[in-house]
Amino acid sequence: MMKKINWKLGILAAAAFTLTLNSCKKDDDVIDTPDHDHDEEVITTLTLTFTDAAGVEPSVSATFRDPDGDGGLDPDIHDTIRLADSTTYNVAVTLLNESETPAEDMTPEIEEEADEHLFCYTVSGANVGITRTDSDGIYEIGLESDWVTGAPSNGSVQVVLKHQPDSKNGSCDPGETDIEVTFVTEIQ
Amino acid sequence: MQQLRIQIFVISTFLFSILPVVVHAQGSCNWVLSGQVIDEHNGEALGFSNVYIKELEIGAVSDENGFYKISGLCSGTYTVQVSHVGCAPVLEKVQVVKNTTQNFHPEHHAEELNQVMVISEKRTEETSQVALTLTSKEMEETKGKSLGESLKKVTGVTTLSTGNSINKPVIHGLHSNRIMILNNGIRHESQQWGNEHAPEIDPFIANELTVIKGANSMRYGPDAIAGVILVNPKEMRTEPGLDGEVNLVGFSNGRQGVASAMFDGNLKEVPGLSYRLQGTYKKAGNVHSPDYFLKNTGLEEYNFSWAAGYNRSNFGVEAFYSQFNTDIGIFSAAHIGNLTDLKRAFNSPVPLESADFTYAIERPYQHIEHELFKASAFVTTGNSGKLNFTYARQYNKRLEYDKDKPLNDSLAALNIPELQFEITTHTGDVVWEHFRTHNFKGSIGLSGISQGNTYSGRYFIPNFKKYGGGIFWIERWKPDSSKLELEAGIRYDYIYQQIYKWEDDVIISPIHQYQNMSANVGGIYHINKDFLLRGNAGLAWRPPNVNELYSDGVHHGAAAVEIGDPNLVEEQAYNFLVSGEYSKNKLRLGVDVYYNYMNNFIYLKPEQPPKLTIRGAFPTFYYRQVDASLKGLDFTFEYQLSKSFNWTTKASMLRAINKTEQEYLTQMPADQIENALEYKFPKDFKNIKDAYLAVSVLSVMKQWRVPPNSDYVAPPEGYTLVEFQAGMAVPLGEHQMNIGIGISNLFNVSYRNYLNRFRYYTDDMGRNFSLRLQIPFSIIAPK
Repeated sequence: MMKKINWKLGILAAAAFTLTLNSCKKDDDVIDTPDHDHDEEVITTLTLTFTDAAGVEPSVSATFRDPDGDGGLDPDIHDTIRLADSTTYNVAVTLLNESETPAEDMTPEIEEEADEHLFCYTVSGANVGITRTDSDGIYEIGLESDWVTGAPSNGSVQVVLKHQPDSKNGSCDPGETDIEVTFVTEIQ
Repeated sequence: MQQLRIQIFVISTFLFSILPVVVHAQGSCNWVLSGQVIDEHNGEALGFSNVYIKELEIGAVSDENGFYKISGLCSGTYTVQVSHVGCAPVLEKVQVVKNTTQNFHPEHHAEELNQVMVISEKRTEETSQVALTLTSKEMEETKGKSLGESLKKVTGVTTLSTGNSINKPVIHGLHSNRIMILNNGIRHESQQWGNEHAPEIDPFIANELTVIKGANSMRYGPDAIAGVILVNPKEMRTEPGLDGEVNLVGFSNGRQGVASAMFDGNLKEVPGLSYRLQGTYKKAGNVHSPDYFLKNTGLEEYNFSWAAGYNRSNFGVEAFYSQFNTDIGIFSAAHIGNLTDLKRAFNSPVPLESADFTYAIERPYQHIEHELFKASAFVTTGNSGKLNFTYARQYNKRLEYDKDKPLNDSLAALNIPELQFEITTHTGDVVWEHFRTHNFKGSIGLSGISQGNTYSGRYFIPNFKKYGGGIFWIERWKPDSSKLELEAGIRYDYIYQQIYKWEDDVIISPIHQYQNMSANVGGIYHINKDFLLRGNAGLAWRPPNVNELYSDGVHHGAAAVEIGDPNLVEEQAYNFLVSGEYSKNKLRLGVDVYYNYMNNFIYLKPEQPPKLTIRGAFPTFYYRQVDASLKGLDFTFEYQLSKSFNWTTKASMLRAINKTEQEYLTQMPADQIENALEYKFPKDFKNIKDAYLAVSVLSVMKQWRVPPNSDYVAPPEGYTLVEFQAGMAVPLGEHQMNIGIGISNLFNVSYRNYLNRFRYYTDDMGRNFSLRLQIPFSIIAPK
């Protein structure tokens, strides 16, 4: 009888011991030196570069930049898009992470995951028609586009980058918004 | 760690060796000890109580008028244990050097609650505040649910939820840092700065859950300005033997399974040495609303604890260790990029992401670990009282994984959490309790806390060190057979907190210091034996929390920028509570009315302009201070319609006003009422005992009392849910196995709860069947 009891107690003790081996974890971080150099990935900068397809008008660019990421300080660059009238521009998107030095070009990362990303352009007021000109093989991406301007006018263009893992279907609806920037747009 | 454990061993060995040894004086052996056993709260004689002298292992039973007599005693000091059904046993030192008369006063005590089973929902009589304990039936019916979900059974308690698995208890509209959770007597310290941070406690540890409503800062320090939740484990086994219990619970919704086991032992070879081992495992998959599955709402939880104690009549030592680990999937469709996404999610009749059933947990998810080690000791100080020492260490780790891995492949491969927090807390208490003397009973004590917090990943709150100390004194006055009882307490606290954060590539380390008094005065008046009134007035405070001072960033999923203010000052609460209880024959009636006025109440205020980011404009909320008033009413009514039928009504209402802006406060629970009808089978069927059926109907009103334009979407409509419960006990060897069946949301109603943050994105859970088995067993039977 006694032996049997000891055996049962032994199992309990062994279980308690095994479980406790895994216990009393410690925080190894130093409190007075907060974490600083972590590799957080943020997109801080969106630049649109406009090149006249006919090579007549000068190339222009428009940038939105918020170097410290979401929150904190306000964006320090938020350009107006100024384009010549009745012109076709080839437009390329560049994305940077400028919270790191040197700045990291994020555009190749989007190209690599092109099947999960889509740029959407919404025009209001300005006389400009926008067509995406690149493709991930099935659907467009929008890193490259053609902007055809009409008569002089003022308005805005909203640039949205949607992250659509497993749900990309060519429409702007699915997914989560990674970028949403509205540029004041003047056709002169 | 090993070192810590050795240290504790050395300390406890030391404590053993210095403890005084009781020496029995020699002399005459003809003395008689006699007296009466009287109920501590209403002065009624307690017939058929057990009066037992531990040293001699002899005892007597009091007669119907509570009188007892033990004769043939030698001179000496004895430990007398007095027990009565429904009361906690009383241990008292009695010196016998002549014929001695000694009265005993068994009682319930909210903070000591080492006692046995709760027989019916009983208000803790000991305090002038309202303390409600879950009944054993309620405990049974909530098995397998989270702590917050279980506490909802208490009138006036709701939860602030993030989906189905994250539930924070809310008492009278207040939560998080404004209420304190005492886990096995230790204030629970974790990352309390977010609505999606639920208490990291395994409810299977507890055999008793009590909610004290109203400010109660005296004993445990600031913060408890709205209430206290006591999570109390079963008392350690006192008789030799080894037994235990297995609980198995299954839920249909989420196909959740819960298994929990507990072993409770006491060594015959070493009297007074008891031990316990307990563990729980929980696994759930995607839950289902009436119309669709909720993607990524699974969870996994694994917890264990052990305890060991050595108790003698005049001293005792105890050690307790528990660990809580969980992975909680965060509903995918609730993770959104910006306000446009949020609006689109809300306007969609079904969540924007759909799924089938799976147990797999994907990003976004949280991984949380919580550890508690506690060592405590007591030693009696002559006949006057007892001195308690408590030390505890808690470690909390919280990892939050965003929905999307980094774009960079090598970074993504590391699978690093985007946010990581670790907080380590040490607390220590020395409390001297004096036994009842000249109708006074009370305690005086010191407490200290030391805390360190670090983060890595995305900034949300800074690192900090915190030190605090407090001193308190509480007394209760209760003469025998007096209709009036009074209690009062006073406390002083000092808190020092140093922050460490980066600002423009330099570490700044501002210091915050807070100090304040808390006080409490209350009374109980027994109008007659059926009717009692309670009143309590409290003064309490709370230092601003670190997120209220320093948060700065986008709160993901909430589509909001939250900005703290380092200049915030302490919140000051003035708490008033009046409560009446009437209980006669078949009727029980309880009404609690409360009024809580707060100066410098901290809340999140939406302010213009919105914060412009590369992801669009986010509404911006600042932590601001205003004066606020919260007043309300909790109501319970019970009537025994017949021998078998029992009717219960519970209702609660709350009005919360921002006095400075003259508008309603947000995120307050709506008025609600619950009616229940229970049928108990009048006689046992074969071997089946205690069989019952119960139906309850909960109606929650629409919360229309919100300031205009304070939220992205209007509060949801009210709803009514029906729940069915049944239970019975069947024999299993020498034990009884309890079997329970439950169906919540019986009619599969689609609804959204204002206090569930996922109401923006999805309906709440649909119908849920549950099956509960409670299987007790013995390994070594007591001889």
